[in-house]
Amino acid sequence: MTGTAITNTIRKLRFERNEMTQQDLAERVGVTRQTINAIELGKYSPSLEVAFRIAAALGVRLEEVFSHDGGTAKPHGSGK
Amino acid sequence: MSFREKTAWITLITLIVTSLLFVLHPPLQLTLAPEPDVFSLHVLLLSIATFVVIEIVAIVVVRIRSPRDAKAPLDERERLIVLKARSVAWYVLAASSLGSVMTTIHLGANELGLAYCVLISFVLSLMVNYAARIVYYRRGA
Repeated sequence: MTGTAITNTIRKLRFERNEMTQQDLAERVGVTRQTINAIELGKYSPSLEVAFRIAAALGVRLEEVFSHDGGTAKPHGSGK
Repeated sequence: MSFREKTAWITLITLIVTSLLFVLHPPLQLTLAPEPDVFSLHVLLLSIATFVVIEIVAIVVVRIRSPRDAKAPLDERERLIVLKARSVAWYVLAASSLGSVMTTIHLGANELGLAYCVLISFVLSLMVNYAARIVYYRRGA
């Protein structure tokens, strides 16, 4: 699988919070450790709900955790 | 490796082993039994029983080794993996079922032959299902 265009700073934010482990974050968010690992490595893009829960667990705003690399997205119904 | 990836490996390997046990059973191959159809049913039941025993024992061992993972419900990524693997396996089941029905009609097999072909299709689709899960777990989703 190719990586997603969404990048994240989860790893950095975890280490800034007393080196929080993936397992700790996974338990706070309600997913498995493997899912947190896949998100960190850019192999899986989480749903909006899980993205918000990750941001809340890390105590930051969503845009501080996730950003999009792939240029400007076209809004729905924008034609060509 | 997550608990569910381990169970996918266990199920895939058990399916392969018990399928080989059935297909490669020497008397079945040689059809030396006085009633080959009845004998093959006995081998089939033996293979199914072997599958159930290996599966239960292996999964119980894995559950004991990682009780926390085993109790955790599926998260969204795992649900997505299950759905994607099922969709791949569905195509295999549809194609192989249709192929087996056409083959048995063409070859004029009896009801037992048709039942075995459908069973093989089912087992093949299960193998593809679990193999696809493992691939998706390895790839992230």
